[in-house]
Formats: sequence, C-alpha cells, structure tokens
Amino acid sequence: MAEVHIIGQVVGGSEFPNQSLFCKWGIHAGGAWKLIAGTKEGQTQVDIPENEDFAYWSHPIDVHYATKGLQGWPRIHLQVWHQDSFGRNELYGYGFIHVPTSPGCHTLECVTWKPNGTFQEELMQRFVGGCPQLKNPDLVYSGADRYKLHTTAMGKVHLKLNLVFRNFDKYGVEC
Amino acid sequence: MTGIIPNPSVFLVMASGQIESAVFPDFEELYCKFSFVHGQDWVVTSGLEEGISQITRKSRDERQLFVWNFPLEITYKSTNPYGWPQIVVSCYGPDMFGNDVVRGYGAVHVPMVPGHHTLDVPMFVPLSTSKLQKFTSWLLGRRPEFVDPKVVAQGEGRDVTRVRSQGHVKISFNVVTRDMKKLGYDVIPSDVTSIPAGTATSVVN
Repeated sequence: MAEVHIIGQVVGGSEFPNQSLFCKWGIHAGGAWKLIAGTKEGQTQVDIPENEDFAYWSHPIDVHYATKGLQGWPRIHLQVWHQDSFGRNELYGYGFIHVPTSPGCHTLECVTWKPNGTFQEELMQRFVGGCPQLKNPDLVYSGADRYKLHTTAMGKVHLKLNLVFRNFDKYGVEC
Repeated sequence: MTGIIPNPSVFLVMASGQIESAVFPDFEELYCKFSFVHGQDWVVTSGLEEGISQITRKSRDERQLFVWNFPLEITYKSTNPYGWPQIVVSCYGPDMFGNDVVRGYGAVHVPMVPGHHTLDVPMFVPLSTSKLQKFTSWLLGRRPEFVDPKVVAQGEGRDVTRVRSQGHVKISFNVVTRDMKKLGYDVIPSDVTSIPAGTATSVVN
C-alpha cells in the first residue's frame, strides 16, 4: 500500500471580526484510506494576541495514512470559534481544504464562511450573540447539499503542512 | 563517514542551524531555551537535544531585535517519518521586580525538505484561568507556566488552554536527509518524465 504522512501545524487565523479564537480541526479521508498512526482531529488553544490581529494556535498535526486508492484524498475540515470573556463559545466559521497532492512543504490558506440566519435570528444575534450552526457538519466537506445554504464570508485559517509520500512511484502514481 | 548501504533500514536527518533572533515589542532582556521533541521511532545519533542561550538585550535601533545567534545541530535516525522532530523554544526574561518570567513558548517541526529554511515561530504564554488567579500571580510574581514546555509540541489537551501571543522567534535550518528515497519516501515531487527503475522492471515481468 502507498503511504502518506501529513506533518505540520494549524498555524493560526486572521481577518476574523474578533480575536480570542480557537479552532476545531479534523481530517476526513475516503474508505480506501486507513489511519495507521496519529490523531485525525483536535482542538487548539484559545489565543488572545497582544500586538497583532492574528490568533496563533501552533497546533501540531502528525498523521500517517495508508491507502489502496487515490479516491477520497484526505481533506482537512475546520471550525473556528470565538470565546468571549465569560467563556461562552460562538461559531465564527466553517471551512475545508484538500491536503495537497504533491510531497514537500506547503503553506495553505483556508477561507471560511458561516451560515446566515433569518432576519429575526440576525436581529437577536446582535443583542444576545450566538450564531446558527450546521446540524450536520459533514456538509462542510461534501458539496451535496450546499445549495440550500446562505452564507457570509469570514476570516482565513493558515496551515503549514509537510507531506511525505511512500511507494507512490512503485504503483506508477505520479505526484 | 560510513559507505553506501545497499538496503538501508533507517534513514538519517541532519539539521544544523541557529536560533537567530526574536521580536518581542514589550520586553527589554531575554534568553531562550530549546529542546527537540520527537516520536518513539526516532533516535538522536549526534548533537545536543537541549540548550540554553545567553541573555540578550534589545537592539538600540528601530529594529528592536533580540539577537541570539545560537547554534543548533542535531542528527536523527528513524524508520518512519511519524513523530518527526519538533523544536520547542521558550523565552524568559526579568520582570520589573527582577523575577524570571516566561515570555513565550513556541514549537515548530524541523523542515523535511533538504535545503535551507527560515522559520518564524509564534510565541505565546498561558493565561490565568480566573481574575483572582491573575491578581495573585501578579502580586506574588509567579506567572502561569507550563510544567513541561514540551506540551506545546503535542496536540492533546491543548483545548483547555487560553494563551496570549506576544512575539516571534526566527530560526534557520539547513537540512540534509539520507536514504529516505531508498526507503521509498518522497519529500519532493518526483520527476514525472523519468520512469523509476522499479516500475520499469515490473512492466517487463
């Protein structure tokens, strides 16, 4: 079986309307992919930056996959949350990004979005906070039911990934 | 140097470089500690895993730079890239009462691609969990610290920490690997135009 190592960091988030952010991340791969070692999901620290408009999470990723096929190439899905001074968490954005298909070092930026509410809900949000969330977060990385949604742009999540492939050329795969 | 090994079972990674400098807008004097953290399959064959730098003062110009120029050199052997080494850096400096206070923790993976790399490591400190703790820690001069700085190289248990990021450290690395390709690992895109020897023979058979 060919093997893929994904080693790197969820570096941080920028261009969100507020600081004090954290991120929940996970890696989703197709049925032919087997996780050999490492954790495929996690939650970062909450960063309250002192001098910059950039929340640093420096959250390490180190996973090892083996695969029998290329279908279902791994993708990273992200949720950015804002934590206020009372410790309440509010959703700030969803996003996903494909793991690159060439070995080496990659600096990635994942754009994020959040679902809109109805007029009533948005009015309520102004006063009490909170945000509509997806009932089924799988929607983030599948394109199937996206057309039903109305969304708003949010900030970016920055990732740095090193990819190491093994035995891809043995099976004639060029990447 | 040992000769060419026809069927290697381990690969080697040599990283040399330096902790060059840091930017911390709020502080005057700093020193740093580093340690390399790695997974189970990794063994250090030469070099120092831990170290501590001199105390440096901020440059008296518009750069406001802390320069350490602190050398790093380490060689690892491993059978598996899982648990690839990371360097954990922590910076300390005196506060207004002369207590040694941590000014930042940071971690980054040693680059995998051979060649020269300059890394920017964001630095952060943990925050007190409550207002009362914040006050007592200020009063006693004991700020929150990680018991073991190596936790910043781990992904587990990070979700309960609140941190404040307040600076950057610049590290440069020169990386050389050995026998990774022989063990089947690709760390740079392979040349699409040439057919590797293994595939050619399998076509003949």
